[in-house]
Amino acid sequence: MKQLFKLLLASLFFTFQFSIVNYVSGQGILGGHVTGNIQLDGQISHRDTVIGSDDVPQKLLSNARADILYTNGNFSAGLRYEAYLGPMLGFRPDYEGQGIANYFVSYKKENFAVTAGHFYEQFGNGMALRAYEDRYLGIDNALRGLNVMYSPTSGIIFKGVIGRQRHFWMESNGVVRGLDAEFSLNDIVKPWAESKTRLTLGGSFVSKYEDATYDWIPANVPGYKVNLPLNVATTAVRMDLAHGGFGLKAEYAHKSQDPNDLNNYIFREGNVLWMSASYSQRGLSANIQAKRVDNMGFRSARTESYTEMLFINYIPAISKQHTYSFLSMYPYATQSMGEMGLTGDFMYKFKKETLLGGKYGTDIHINASLIKGLDTVDAGGRGTEGYTSSFFGTGDTYYGDLSVEVAKKLNSSLKLVATYGYVVFNPVIEGHLGDLHHNHVVVADLTWKLNKKNSIRFEAEWMGSDSKYETNIDDKRAGDWIMGLIEYNLAPSWFVSVSDQYAYNDGIGNYYNISVGYTKGATRLQVGYGKQREGIICIGGVCRNVPASNGLTFSLTTSF
Amino acid sequence: MKKIFFTLALTFLGVFAMAQNATLPTGISLKTLDGKTVQSSVIQNEGKPIIISFWATWCKPCNSELDAIKEVYEEWQESTGVKLVAVSIDDARSSARVKPWVDGKDWPYEVYLDPNKDLARAMNVGADVPYAFIINGKGEIVWQHKGYQPGSEEELIEAVKKVLAEEE
Repeated sequence: MKQLFKLLLASLFFTFQFSIVNYVSGQGILGGHVTGNIQLDGQISHRDTVIGSDDVPQKLLSNARADILYTNGNFSAGLRYEAYLGPMLGFRPDYEGQGIANYFVSYKKENFAVTAGHFYEQFGNGMALRAYEDRYLGIDNALRGLNVMYSPTSGIIFKGVIGRQRHFWMESNGVVRGLDAEFSLNDIVKPWAESKTRLTLGGSFVSKYEDATYDWIPANVPGYKVNLPLNVATTAVRMDLAHGGFGLKAEYAHKSQDPNDLNNYIFREGNVLWMSASYSQRGLSANIQAKRVDNMGFRSARTESYTEMLFINYIPAISKQHTYSFLSMYPYATQSMGEMGLTGDFMYKFKKETLLGGKYGTDIHINASLIKGLDTVDAGGRGTEGYTSSFFGTGDTYYGDLSVEVAKKLNSSLKLVATYGYVVFNPVIEGHLGDLHHNHVVVADLTWKLNKKNSIRFEAEWMGSDSKYETNIDDKRAGDWIMGLIEYNLAPSWFVSVSDQYAYNDGIGNYYNISVGYTKGATRLQVGYGKQREGIICIGGVCRNVPASNGLTFSLTTSF
Repeated sequence: MKKIFFTLALTFLGVFAMAQNATLPTGISLKTLDGKTVQSSVIQNEGKPIIISFWATWCKPCNSELDAIKEVYEEWQESTGVKLVAVSIDDARSSARVKPWVDGKDWPYEVYLDPNKDLARAMNVGADVPYAFIINGKGEIVWQHKGYQPGSEEELIEAVKKVLAEEE
């Protein structure tokens, strides 16, 4: 009997399987595609009292994830498995655990798209809404809910979202609702279709609902409590104007009263204004950006102030994202509570066969930025306006930099990039009190192409700083530094690099590193051994602290 | 019982393996350098191969790659008809710099902005750039490579030529 049952079951299975396969090949379900990507990062770190690293109890820390995506014509579905079995150093312990962190189904046509489940979205420049993910910062504020896009006619796009934000392995209580409309006027107004002037206008409305039954925060006035608004709204308008080489972009966002942990429960409204003007032609470009932020941290949970999670909007830093180690050693982080900034960028290409261009031409790139606090006047504590600020007034200097980069091909096999940089940094942007640091940085970066496939890159950096370790013991970046790096590349697969950073004056630490990488198609394996300074890594003005580490790291990524 | 599952799994795998190459995702919004929103289907090259290169202004190897290809791009286009589409993943911090950057660098490529990585995510680019794809005349993704090292562009054009040879 049991045997018979088994047989029956087996035949049922086969029938089922065949029908699926038939259905699938007939309907073309598996005529669709399964694609995906996998990343596995791991780390073994040991105690080093000089740089301040510690043994990790698990020995091995790892962050692993796999995205699987199924696409068939306009339909797609995906899921992501994440496993942080001992999250790597610098990632919040809240990530500990594993599971399906993201799943969605989606239907997308040219003029209509709907996604149910987790999604990422950005309205305009993100000042009202940006759900995004940055795995190196450990940020994932994906919304889970519904995302709809509809374009009734060419040049008009409407978007709508509703959902809750991911918070590590949980979800925030706050519900985020948003609408966005964008109008490309050249497509809408017929006589402008061929105009050289292109104008796009847009507007967003984003609202957060969060109940507040559990915490009425005591106001500063005895006997009173703060009446928390349950709905907080951000409204934004933007424009994008282009005429030949000229470009003008701007976005303004305003936020209603939003007492929260970050602003100490004040009732001041928030706003941000960002503008960018640029001119460019072949071999020449200039860009100026200005920004003013006032009380604009917008989160889906008002109590969230400790981590970098649950931001609904995104206020980018406008200073240049430097790539050389010493230039990015003191990075700028956006102060969403209040800042004013100005940045300028200039690029020029001296043509071949000119005095400064030489045989191969010369590229020059100059960048400068200055970011200051707001000029504020105290107007009471929690439960009040909090402070007032004048629009054009500025307060303390937070950050300033100037960099000049010259890139020149010396002959058919040698290319040199020489950079000078100056950075002024106020520790208050990382939450510490202290004097301004002033740093000078010089970098020489030489690539020597031996033949078609082999090349060697040399990088030498120097930084002189007035931040001394004796007076700044908490800061492992203090002091004057030198660095050398040699990297051997065998295209398109292999690289080996050896580097050392050494605090030769008024600082401590000797950070050597060796790493080897192998790439084949979409697969890359990298293994490194050495010391990593505690510090801050920033992407787009959002930063995370990375503790010191000493040991082995590896990273395997692949796509299929 | 185990056997049945195995057979089931194998059959599925077989069918998956039979599926042809993935195609360029459709219905993904990108921005032109003029600020207009367009769909990913604008990436076209009249039946000839396309190189899609994901890059960012702050990425040194990306810039080296696009600079290096610039030197040989005319030659590539003449011999293969290939078109390079550079998709910038610069977010709001630097996306306004992309147009001046491309002009200042005098790059001859078609450039789009993907500031929230929607296309990059749909194409499984992962977190790192540069990342290059070759799309054949039928719109299928037939080759991909992560990273850039001086000289890697040789492999890229060889792959384009191979794609062309296979199509003939």
